[in-house]
Amino acid sequence: MKTFEEKWTAWIDGELTGAELAEFEASLPDKAAAEAEKREAKKLGTFLKEHLECHAMGNEEFFHHQLRERITADADGTRRESAGSGRVWWPIGRLVWVGATALALFSVCTFFVIREKAPTDQSQYLSQILNARVDPAVSPNATISMFESKEGKVTVLWVDGLQSLPSEYASK
Amino acid sequence: MQRRSILLLSLALGLMLGVTVPARGSQTVWSGLVIASNAAQPEETPIELKRLEGTLKELFGYNQFSVIGQSKKALVTGSEDWMAQSKYFSLHVDSKEGNDKTGYRLDLKLYQEKSLLLETEAKLSKESPLIIRGPQVGDGQLLLLLVVQ
Repeated sequence: MKTFEEKWTAWIDGELTGAELAEFEASLPDKAAAEAEKREAKKLGTFLKEHLECHAMGNEEFFHHQLRERITADADGTRRESAGSGRVWWPIGRLVWVGATALALFSVCTFFVIREKAPTDQSQYLSQILNARVDPAVSPNATISMFESKEGKVTVLWVDGLQSLPSEYASK
Repeated sequence: MQRRSILLLSLALGLMLGVTVPARGSQTVWSGLVIASNAAQPEETPIELKRLEGTLKELFGYNQFSVIGQSKKALVTGSEDWMAQSKYFSLHVDSKEGNDKTGYRLDLKLYQEKSLLLETEAKLSKESPLIIRGPQVGDGQLLLLLVVQ
């Protein structure tokens, strides 16, 4: 069952015949307007056919040649890419070269950074007493204290209470 | 290419070693047994103590300093031991592993003849002498000094 639009298009194109044509034309509310519209449509079709004809290509052979060249080039490129994908990694020699260069740069930078890093705390320059002890059996009253003299930059371990000795112990 | 790579690798290795291994220039540690005392006519202060003379006078209140025993030891490996001794005293010094750029770790033992009077562990800085106040000897005082020269 054709719709009205399908029948209308077929009518405009002159494809309706016989009873179908008679039936369609009888169904038209204003046949004169429809006829006028049909004529306009035909006129437009003729106009379009005249003015929108495909121009014949003057350099058809050259165009085809260019197209074939492009297709060949694209195909070669694809082949090269697929062949090149196996060589993503650098050769060993170049890797060694780059690695060594990076190491050298790192070492040089580290060397200068370490050299320039100066201790900020004054006490890092001073000697330190880490621990001290006297034998309590030998010196039961001995006491130990320690201090740093930052003016003289000396560290002193002060031991008190060791047994006093006669002056002959000052001999060389 | 190969030769250049080897050369560069050697250079990198050398630089890395230069960075990681601290410079071990030999330094000398002077260790001394000093008797500090007061004298009406004080003797000339020994040359080893000249730099510390003012500090010693200020800290201990004596005006004369005599060296009764001393030792100079060049530290090369950083793990050495030595001794400074007088007739009755001896100071045993043992340089321990773990020295770094800021100083030397030392084990110190002060003996009076055979008996151990004092034992201490210290980190001797190159910039800062270490002074130990020992026993009273006569009218004076025994001092132990360690100085990196």
